Amino acid sequence: MLFGLLCLTFVISHVVPGDPARLAAGPDANAAMVETIRTKYGLDRPLAAQFARYVRGLAVGDFGESLRSRNAVRDDLARYFPNTFELVALALLLAVAVGLPLGMLSAVYKDTWIDHGARVVSVSGVALPAFWLGLMLQLVIALWLGWLPLGGRLGLTATSPAPITHLLLVDAVLRGEWRTFADALRHAVLPVVTLCVPALASIMRVNRAEMLETLQQDYITTARAQGFPDFRVVTRYALRNAMIPTLAMIGLRYGWMLGGTILVETVFDWPGIGLYAVNAAVSSDFQPIMGVTLLIGLNFMLANLLVDLAYGWLDPRIRRPGAT
Amino acid sequence: MKLARLLPCLLVLLATPTAPLDAFERVGDRKILVFAGRQEVPTIDPSVKYDWSIRMMQQALYDALVKYVGNPPEIVPWLAERWESSPDARTWTFHLVKNARFHNGDPVTAEAVRWSFARTLKLNQGPAWMLSDFLKEDGIKVVNEHSVQFTLTQPYAPFLSFVPWWYVMNPRQVTANEQGGDLGQKWLTDNEAGSGPFKIKRWQQGVLYEIEAVDAYWKGWPSKDHVGGVILKLVRESAAQRAALLRGEADIVEGLSADDFDQVAKTPGIVVPNFPGMTTFGLKMNTQKPPTSDANLRKAIAHAFDYDALLKIYNGNAVLQTSPFPNATRGHVPVPGLPRQDLARAKEFLAKSAYASGGTELEYVYVQGLEEERKMGLVLIDNLGKLNLKVKMVPLTWPNMVARGAKVESSPDLMAVFATPVSTDPDAVAYQYHKNSWGKYYGSSFYTNADVWGLIERARMLARWEDRAPLYADVQKRIAADAPEVFGMLANRRWGMRDHVKGFVFSPVRFTGEVDLYPLAIVAK
Repeated sequence: MLFGLLCLTFVISHVVPGDPARLAAGPDANAAMVETIRTKYGLDRPLAAQFARYVRGLAVGDFGESLRSRNAVRDDLARYFPNTFELVALALLLAVAVGLPLGMLSAVYKDTWIDHGARVVSVSGVALPAFWLGLMLQLVIALWLGWLPLGGRLGLTATSPAPITHLLLVDAVLRGEWRTFADALRHAVLPVVTLCVPALASIMRVNRAEMLETLQQDYITTARAQGFPDFRVVTRYALRNAMIPTLAMIGLRYGWMLGGTILVETVFDWPGIGLYAVNAAVSSDFQPIMGVTLLIGLNFMLANLLVDLAYGWLDPRIRRPGAT
Repeated sequence: MKLARLLPCLLVLLATPTAPLDAFERVGDRKILVFAGRQEVPTIDPSVKYDWSIRMMQQALYDALVKYVGNPPEIVPWLAERWESSPDARTWTFHLVKNARFHNGDPVTAEAVRWSFARTLKLNQGPAWMLSDFLKEDGIKVVNEHSVQFTLTQPYAPFLSFVPWWYVMNPRQVTANEQGGDLGQKWLTDNEAGSGPFKIKRWQQGVLYEIEAVDAYWKGWPSKDHVGGVILKLVRESAAQRAALLRGEADIVEGLSADDFDQVAKTPGIVVPNFPGMTTFGLKMNTQKPPTSDANLRKAIAHAFDYDALLKIYNGNAVLQTSPFPNATRGHVPVPGLPRQDLARAKEFLAKSAYASGGTELEYVYVQGLEEERKMGLVLIDNLGKLNLKVKMVPLTWPNMVARGAKVESSPDLMAVFATPVSTDPDAVAYQYHKNSWGKYYGSSFYTNADVWGLIERARMLARWEDRAPLYADVQKRIAADAPEVFGMLANRRWGMRDHVKGFVFSPVRFTGEVDLYPLAIVAK
């Protein structure tokens, strides 16, 4: 699957109009300078030869070199991916932490004001474009109210803690740099909320639908008839069964959010792979585009693998075929 | 337990509002200027690349033999205290100041100058194109420790006008950091080996770039209140840039829309320097492919276009071109009869063309997302409609647009092009109309006129300005007469700036957005 993605991305990035060599050489470069770049990066060779060279590089962990910065793409990805991962992880955690209970409450209190309110949130969350929401949050929360910073990862004069995991928040905790942690968290609030809203809405909707169906099941009626407390029936028996499709949605959302960071990172100047990909795309710098695509693809696959494993943990029938 | 105690403290820290600032950053006793820019600095290697953000940092970290200063731009001595050229403009000798030091303490010598020029020529990237046709490595000679001589392969009068962009590097530092014979390219991407007024403090690619003033800068500082450092913070959205300026989180911003500049200019505490630049805006017409290969059709288009609309799009912060050369270019002469909107004349030219009754469609290509260029397209649709000519607007990304303009077969009928010459010498603009510029974005007209090319080639080889000036006057008139483009306007350069920032010196030869950081000072109220 990853190889298919690799082939597809390679072909697309090489057949789109644009001359990466000319762009890398600069607008005033003469023909000889453009050719120097073309030869140096093997862009003068047939597409098949370029692909073979790229795959050979990948086999030894070499993602190529950025034509724009001349940096190794591997180093760039290592620098930017932890920032994106941190953003997506926080957004996903928030989406799950809010979306799941909201979906549950909406189902339990169907057709009440709680349900109506939750549905308004979910429809708005799905409908609002991320860049618009981000800009509005910046305008109101950062500019008018002045509660949170406009963007970036840290304050201007703040310095990052010495890396351990390369995840800024985690490293700040591990190093005991609480002021840096608070600063980083404050910078993370608006982008995390912006990224989280569509995911939260989806998770809530799926969970609500599944909960509504599960709550109609005979075993739920039986549990209630036996006098189990409603809270226990809902959280222990209904939620666990309703979680399987929700879990699939969470896995999918992780992949989508990685892609969705492009807009959020641009609005909030979050130095992650989304922003890196945007800058590469506008310069026809295809090696970073390939690197980012492969990395997102790999993450998508890993997330789905984890979801598959979690199914077994949630449902014994999957873990032990034949179990009832 | 420990975490439980810390949690309330963290909540308090988080809940503390980020109060709007009204000043620059302070680090110890240093006043740090914050520049919110939209463009990254992917490399600062002076031999590899330049654009406005790269060059702003290169200019801060490195010195050149001479420097462009002021408006109109003058070339002033910098690392070279004086220079002389042979009567035929083939041999140029520069005599260096004796007190210049690189940041690591090494002296700036003639050998360092020779090595730096040779490195740029060898790598054949970045600014190499400016001199590579005339200067070879073996033409650079160290006369003595403080004098270096350049012998060109043929006379080239504009030589000096390009020298300000050739920065001098410390060979000892660069060679010590070579990797696999790369002449230090990898290391110089985010390290410096210069002698400029600033040195690198922090280089966080994609986030911010912080430079620190060199207190003992060999040339001294123009003000006792000079900035102690500069943070170039990447803020990619213009709405966020504007907000950062209004909140006091940035001292200088560039690249706002015309409306945003007008709005922030009315805000107390903010000033907006506003100067005519050297960046021309024109609609390049493909002179070799129908329908715009028809000179009369091109002239009809040029006379139908509403030039005042250009000024309105920029809220009046622009001036119309009076010649193919920008006003600040040496030797600029206003060309009589440069087209202005005149529908009757436009119809006369159209009648003489192969498209006497119009009825053809023209493709207008512009940069996707550039609102001003989109508006210009709408103006074209309206104006050319009166000649029964249709206009198809095609927004493209910059790389795709450059690719379209690179070949005569694919170059569009009309292409919106901003072009900034890198020097004030007329050759820098005139050469855009030479056949050797075909394939570059500003050569997308594929302009052909052997007489004009001959004049350009002759003029660049003459040493005396008195001999060159009439040739360039002729070049301007001849190009205008051929109408390879709709000669548009020169948009003003503007920045949003907090009023505690002093010492700003405008020079039109700098790129859009680029600021000379050396003379800047912060004078707090």
